[in-house]
Amino acid sequence: MNVLIVSAILGVVMLFSGVLLKQTRIVRAIAIIGMAVLLVINILEISGTSFFNIHTYGMMHFDRFALLFNSIVLFSTLVYFILSAKDMEKVGIHYGEYFALIFFIVCGIVLVASFKSLLILFLGVEIISIPLYILTGSDKKNLKSNEASLKYFLMGAFSTGLMLMGIALIYGATGTFNASEMTFPAARPSILPVAGMLLLLFSMAFKVSAAPFHFWTPDVYDGAPTVFTSFMATIVKAAVFIGFIRLFDEAFGSFNAEWQTWIAVITVITLFIGNITAVFQQSVKRMLAYSSIAQAGFMLLAVYAMNTDAKEGILLYTAAYCLATIGIFAVLAKMSDYTFEGFNGMARQQPMIALLTTIFFLSLAGIPLTAGFLAKFYMLKAALGAGGSLWVVIFAVLMAAVSVWYYFRVIQAMYFKDGQATVQVSPFFKWTLAVLAAVVILLGIFPNLLLYWYYF
Amino acid sequence: MGITQILFWLLSVMALFSALMVVTNKNPVYSVLWLILAFFAISGHFLMLNAQFLFIVNIIVYAGAIMVLFLFVIMLINLNKEMEPRKNIWIKFAGAVAGGCLLLVLVAALRNSELKGQVAQVKEGNIGLIKNLGMELFSTYVVPFEISSILFISAMVGAVVIGKKE
Repeated sequence: MNVLIVSAILGVVMLFSGVLLKQTRIVRAIAIIGMAVLLVINILEISGTSFFNIHTYGMMHFDRFALLFNSIVLFSTLVYFILSAKDMEKVGIHYGEYFALIFFIVCGIVLVASFKSLLILFLGVEIISIPLYILTGSDKKNLKSNEASLKYFLMGAFSTGLMLMGIALIYGATGTFNASEMTFPAARPSILPVAGMLLLLFSMAFKVSAAPFHFWTPDVYDGAPTVFTSFMATIVKAAVFIGFIRLFDEAFGSFNAEWQTWIAVITVITLFIGNITAVFQQSVKRMLAYSSIAQAGFMLLAVYAMNTDAKEGILLYTAAYCLATIGIFAVLAKMSDYTFEGFNGMARQQPMIALLTTIFFLSLAGIPLTAGFLAKFYMLKAALGAGGSLWVVIFAVLMAAVSVWYYFRVIQAMYFKDGQATVQVSPFFKWTLAVLAAVVILLGIFPNLLLYWYYF
Repeated sequence: MGITQILFWLLSVMALFSALMVVTNKNPVYSVLWLILAFFAISGHFLMLNAQFLFIVNIIVYAGAIMVLFLFVIMLINLNKEMEPRKNIWIKFAGAVAGGCLLLVLVAALRNSELKGQVAQVKEGNIGLIKNLGMELFSTYVVPFEISSILFISAMVGAVVIGKKE
């Protein structure tokens, strides 16, 4: 609750500072300090200091899972602000408003991570989506950005409609919005809640861009300004996953036989389409869009398994995926050429940036000693532990092997090809990126540094 | 058959027919006009359930404000025959199959649902009265109600960001 209220206030503060302050440097500083404050008060809430005691009639529940997830999100957003906030200046003149919208999105993320009532879930998903439509189209002079925004808006509105219809059917079947109070008759529920559950499943799969609901993703991620793609593809996607997991754990956990097969099918299709299509991309930005679909396939394994390992795993996965991808996008936003050739010879021009980018790509591919490896390991362990199908796990491993191919193409371009890749970066940016890479490696060696907080 | 039932059937036929006309009509302006009729029919259903507040809000907001917005947009973008994109017959076919599948599932869901024997509370239900609605909104649902302000402020900020001249 701390983060929800303070983040909403900070959003308004950013609005005013965008109007009143002429220097973008100060606006940026306020945003970074604000995000740091959010992180601190969230950690305070984990240790039991809540500033606001609001009776929500059981509609929200700030348990350890939600709070720890909030911490990961806030830390990632803080890193994202430090690395990429300067690049937002290039997008347009509404500098303060961009930050304000991101603070509002953080409110939505808190809601989605801690909902109990489907009403809150709906509000949270909408609060996440509407600012994103705007951020996608914020590069107003760019036709691709306009197209992406319109596409995202239409498809997003449609999937929101599906979600509302699903919630309505479930309300009709159970008479309550509260996810943990829903009682479904017997082991095999009637067709009304199942139809509602399927509609919710499809709309959530749309929001996390799982195949076959992924068609908007490449265009939107490619068309949006790179700084905002970085935010959308990482933090927002992970947040919707938390909502996905909470929804299917608490509301529909009692009849998982009905949906587990569906999730398995969606997982396999997502892994296949995401990884195979990423291989054929020419632009690194578009490749990362498809890679985010592929990573969503891995995260879907947590929904499929739905046990303690899965919950630990999704937290670790969120941290590993968000931090690594934010790092890559931060470098990408500084480059002029987004194709693979644009990375040619970067190791000679900028050895340190090339090394750090390599670490991030290794983490995404799931090479041992990086956080990405353990995150994938937890997912596969969870899927096996749930008594799930062995074939899904084998397929996921195969697809992870395919992913190595396109991630290593960038590394190959940086180290083994001659070219003039130019990145203009400040020493501060370099060292922040180095700290980020250190965190990625540290989490790969000691995942308990993070997961300890889930229990202690 | 009492007057309530006659009204129910009349309104239902009206709603379904006008909704069908919305999607089958070639001219978008006619579609919007049919949509207004559909909203009126649905508002009539609300009134029959004794939900007077929803009735009046539905007419003011949907049939009034939103429809005027629709008409404005249609007139601004000036749709005509030549600009209409040609759609592949197979895409039309696939769309019909997909939509038909959804219809089938929903009809099956509602046909076998446990709601079949239950009758809507006509005339005596009082949850839709403005007093009860207000009490509920500002006691049980006050947290979502306040949170929705974040949604609206972000939408307003977005409108400014998108609409303002640079």
